[in-house]
Amino acid sequence: MLLPKFEFHEPGSIKEALELKKKLGSTARLLAGGTDLLVHLKKKIITTDHIISLQRIESLARITAQPDFVEIGACATMAAISGTPVIKEKFSALKSGVDNIGTHLIRNRATLGGNVCNASPAGDSLPALLIYKALVLLESLDGKREMPIEEFFKGPGKTDMKADEILTGFRLPTPPAHSGAHYIQLGKRKSSEINVVNVASFLEFDPKTKIILNARIALGSVAATPIRSLKAEALLKGKIAEETSFYEAGEKARFEDCKPIDDFRGSAAYRRAMVGVLTKRTLTTAFELAGR
Amino acid sequence: MKKIIHLTINELDHEIAVEPNKTLADLLRYDLKLTGTKKGCDTGDCGACTVIMNGDPVNSCLVLAVQANGSRIETVEGLSTDEGIHPIQKAFVEKGAIQCGYCTPGMIMSTKSLLDKNPNPNEQEIREGISGNLCRCTGYTKIFEAIESLRS
Amino acid sequence: MKEFDIISTRANRIDTPDKATGRAVFVDDISRPGMLYGALLQSPHAHAKILSIDTSKAEKLKGVKAVITSKDAGSIKYGVSPARYDETVFAIDRVRYVGDEIAAVAADSLDIALAAVDLIKVEYEILPAVLTIEEAMKDGAPLLHEGSPKNLCAEVHQEFGNVEEGLKNSDIIITTKMKNKRQDGAFIEMQGCIAEFDNLGVLTLTSSTQVPHYVQRTVAMVLGMDVGKVRVIKPYVGAGFGIKAAANPMELACCILARKTKKPVKMNYTRDQVFMLARARHQFSHTITTGAKKDGTLMAIKHECWLDGGAYTSFGIATVYYTGSLLGGPYKLDNMSYDGYRVYNNKPACGAQRGHGAVIARAAFEQQLDMIAEKIGMDPLELRIKNMMETGDTTCNDLNMSSFGMSECIEAVRKGSGWDHKKGKMPKGKGIGMACGFFVSGAGYPIYRSDTWHGTVIVKLTEDGGTALVYTASAEIGQGSDTAFAMIAAETLGIPLENVRLASGDTDMGVDLGAYSSRQTLMTGHATKDAAEHAKRQVLEVLAEQLKVPVENMDIRNGFIEFKGAAPDFSGLRTRYIKEHRGWIDNPASEKLTFKEASRIAFLERGSIVGTGKYKPHDLGGKFKGAAVGTSPAYGCSAQVAEVTVDMETGQVTIDKITDAHDCGKAINLTSVEGQMQGSVSMGIGEAMHEEVIFDKQGRVLNHDLAEYKIVTSMDMPHVEAIVVESDEPNGPYGAKEVGEGAIMPTIPAILNAVYDAAGVRLNELPLTPERVYNAIQEYKEKNKIK
Repeated sequence: MLLPKFEFHEPGSIKEALELKKKLGSTARLLAGGTDLLVHLKKKIITTDHIISLQRIESLARITAQPDFVEIGACATMAAISGTPVIKEKFSALKSGVDNIGTHLIRNRATLGGNVCNASPAGDSLPALLIYKALVLLESLDGKREMPIEEFFKGPGKTDMKADEILTGFRLPTPPAHSGAHYIQLGKRKSSEINVVNVASFLEFDPKTKIILNARIALGSVAATPIRSLKAEALLKGKIAEETSFYEAGEKARFEDCKPIDDFRGSAAYRRAMVGVLTKRTLTTAFELAGR
Repeated sequence: MKKIIHLTINELDHEIAVEPNKTLADLLRYDLKLTGTKKGCDTGDCGACTVIMNGDPVNSCLVLAVQANGSRIETVEGLSTDEGIHPIQKAFVEKGAIQCGYCTPGMIMSTKSLLDKNPNPNEQEIREGISGNLCRCTGYTKIFEAIESLRS
Repeated sequence: MKEFDIISTRANRIDTPDKATGRAVFVDDISRPGMLYGALLQSPHAHAKILSIDTSKAEKLKGVKAVITSKDAGSIKYGVSPARYDETVFAIDRVRYVGDEIAAVAADSLDIALAAVDLIKVEYEILPAVLTIEEAMKDGAPLLHEGSPKNLCAEVHQEFGNVEEGLKNSDIIITTKMKNKRQDGAFIEMQGCIAEFDNLGVLTLTSSTQVPHYVQRTVAMVLGMDVGKVRVIKPYVGAGFGIKAAANPMELACCILARKTKKPVKMNYTRDQVFMLARARHQFSHTITTGAKKDGTLMAIKHECWLDGGAYTSFGIATVYYTGSLLGGPYKLDNMSYDGYRVYNNKPACGAQRGHGAVIARAAFEQQLDMIAEKIGMDPLELRIKNMMETGDTTCNDLNMSSFGMSECIEAVRKGSGWDHKKGKMPKGKGIGMACGFFVSGAGYPIYRSDTWHGTVIVKLTEDGGTALVYTASAEIGQGSDTAFAMIAAETLGIPLENVRLASGDTDMGVDLGAYSSRQTLMTGHATKDAAEHAKRQVLEVLAEQLKVPVENMDIRNGFIEFKGAAPDFSGLRTRYIKEHRGWIDNPASEKLTFKEASRIAFLERGSIVGTGKYKPHDLGGKFKGAAVGTSPAYGCSAQVAEVTVDMETGQVTIDKITDAHDCGKAINLTSVEGQMQGSVSMGIGEAMHEEVIFDKQGRVLNHDLAEYKIVTSMDMPHVEAIVVESDEPNGPYGAKEVGEGAIMPTIPAILNAVYDAAGVRLNELPLTPERVYNAIQEYKEKNKIK
């Protein structure tokens, strides 16, 4: 399969990249890992005259851990994120998510920024980013801006990123003590899989009473974008963290918070049922992990 | 317009002019005649095109040659030495881990990368270490055995 | 004393060192001077009339050397079986599926060829498309092929014994349906080829094929050439599984382009073109009624099957017969009827894939056996044993089990899996299930009606002595056939394996029907043994003359000549050899006379020592219509036990272990046999769990890549314990028979039976996606009022 003919640009700084983007407009596409872009170009789903590679901009690949937050550069690879100790320790649901993307080979190239900008409702890294309340960091020649990730997705393949912007990274606030999170995806085989349903849950609770102070549940593959399961979250707040609460939250998420469709990977009815199961299970494990 | 790139492939330096839309896989196979690296899908799903780039195994069909500028590439051809075939290649042969052979170079490069980083992988780590390399012939069983035999 | 010196070992394969080092050459690794690149124009419509084709713009594009359509290709019909030649290289007046070939371009680069394809203007009149069996058979449905009313490609009606009587005398009668989905071969190497004419008009086609011989004949027929001027060479091939067992339109187009441009032309399928071509496992809809007595004796099978065949026949004419014929065994059964129907429609054509038409029938039937066992309160394993055929038995449809190690296979998996202490005692959500199966060891008859030998082999000894060159037109496609024949030749000649050099896959070397129907080990193996014996005989005859010892008193073992009784004085021969090798430092000095010396002397006396071997099976099968399909000189058989865990909330099934025992007669190479068993199991698991080709409403394949068509990955494959059973097949060389396809037979039903054991649900539709299993569990819960 051949790629279309294009001009290749390798800016050395974010500013240079932004200038190129402004100059070339819609005739150019940004290239990070290439595991989505090059496939779409080969399959003739899209075409382009210019490619702006972000690979040489070192700052975009950095992962920096601060006491209150971690910042992940847009061009950090899934493998790099998975192997970073602070992610493993404090953001385990994100590690689970990135570990499920593609194959071990894809993960050495695929970037978090790429997965987010691809904006597939089924994206593996997305539910965890939602429950960790990630901020999307964007930059243009006019300056920087941030926005909560759940507002960033506008539809399948669509984000709030403006034509003159580049997504430079993500900031994830460090989860509080006595909290836990977990991510589960459901597919048909165990590698190189596109999810039928995927769910991430976050729980913060009072260690003495086990009362849930905060719950965040993110559902993938059951709406036009990954979504928060707000009614289920509301149900959990103030309840005791235990099996019945988790089950009820799952049922709430299943019946009231998602809008799945039928497609060749699975039916709406099955997806809905699995939202219930995965919500319950991720909450259960999130609570167990917090206890450790 | 072609760009001049520099690659070190199996410890040999190359200076090559390439079109931007040429993949690393195509460069290796058709321009440099290193046909050991295979193409089984061209879209990153099968792993037959696996090479090690700057120490990590990647689908060379999803890397533009221009992206690989300045990189160190290892292909299956680089494994044999004056002493003979590489222990990984020897183990694959001896354990019957090769049938049609088309996934083999990619499988071997993933194996090399796995063992370079983790000389004593457990079963789960072995499975994950080759999870991006599809094999339709062997059912993976003898591939697992070959890799297990290489643990230190 | 060891029985064999070479065979029955775990010798390293002769091809794998080159494959491990990247030295092995596959077709896309080859480049020829002046080579052009070809590309196909394929129909975007499932069904359409072709009103006009305008190639003028394409022809004018710089770098284009030829554009061909049916005007150049002609209208000679071809296919797999002469009884159903229903394809032309290019569509003439209409296209019948998305992917149907219309034209081809050869150009200086692939880039230009593809651009030229886009410039070919075709005017279509879209016709209504029929995409299912039901649509294709409806009144008023468009007719895809003249002479096939109701789009019935083939119809089979067979009865053996008296099924009605048999059912009348049954205490239990069970009727079930089973449906699978189309599969894809998903071999890792896409088809590709290079066609080149030389200046004498001889065509050489290098192709990734399983059947150089059939391709050679098809190319000659379609191009109107003498077969003797067509040479097909198979380089290393990245597997085929049956899909590559017929000439494909790309190969033919490539040859025609090469003829027109007078240059070598290379063509490849992309991965999505592989899906468009299909020619893989059919979708089968089975209805089977089985009757048994309450003591478990099987009485009768009534079997109906509808095959979703696609736009052309391809292998389908054989498939529709195999579907029925291979239910005749492996159990004793006097009464069986089969009504099979293969229907055309506007999807890509289906063909043959590992296990051919018998795999889903086996899945359905082995599930029924478990149902019968449950009804009568018998262990399902015992039910199999009770009904199992024995060596020497013949099925009601004339298939003879000349060797049959089935009871050994069953005992082996019973023991290996721990069946007796697991069955009925697994914790909730875990289950164990078993099944049996068998398959032909080579089709009894060639695909075209002929008296041809099925395989010929040449063994030529090097004139300097000591090395045997083995030439076979057979196809090493990964299964290990080259090594098997090298080992057989070495064993037969009595020389070390390293003194055998083998070359294969070239039609100049002889006739070999190729790698399909699991034939090569038995059939080409026989021809190899035959040729090696012939060569050996010639050497021993020369020795007999020279040493005045009768031939029967001599043998060759491990590269040395063995004499019965005292060895004669052979110093004269040795002196003669050494005289010719002045300067060599390693001249023979052994106590025994070497094969090297003997074969050198044989050359000096007689000229080149060439042994020729050939094989064809004796007349097989009954005299009824379709009797040929299912016949074989031998049958491989196997039993498998599957252990699974079912997640009752999500429907996900994890296969924890497969225990597999296969009777291959005699393992020529133990490692290769195990490898085929494990590979078969992985394909069986894929088909059982997550492989299916999905179409949209326009007849296009939706999941046309290896991400969405899901074969087993390293993360999915369970532990497989492979146990080799050897029943010593009298019709096989050294007792060997097949393993390549028989080994897939029990996998799907073993899993189905294990899932029932774990979750209490019987599934009648494949694949067992989590959603399907989940729905079955929900239905079961509702039915039984469980929460």
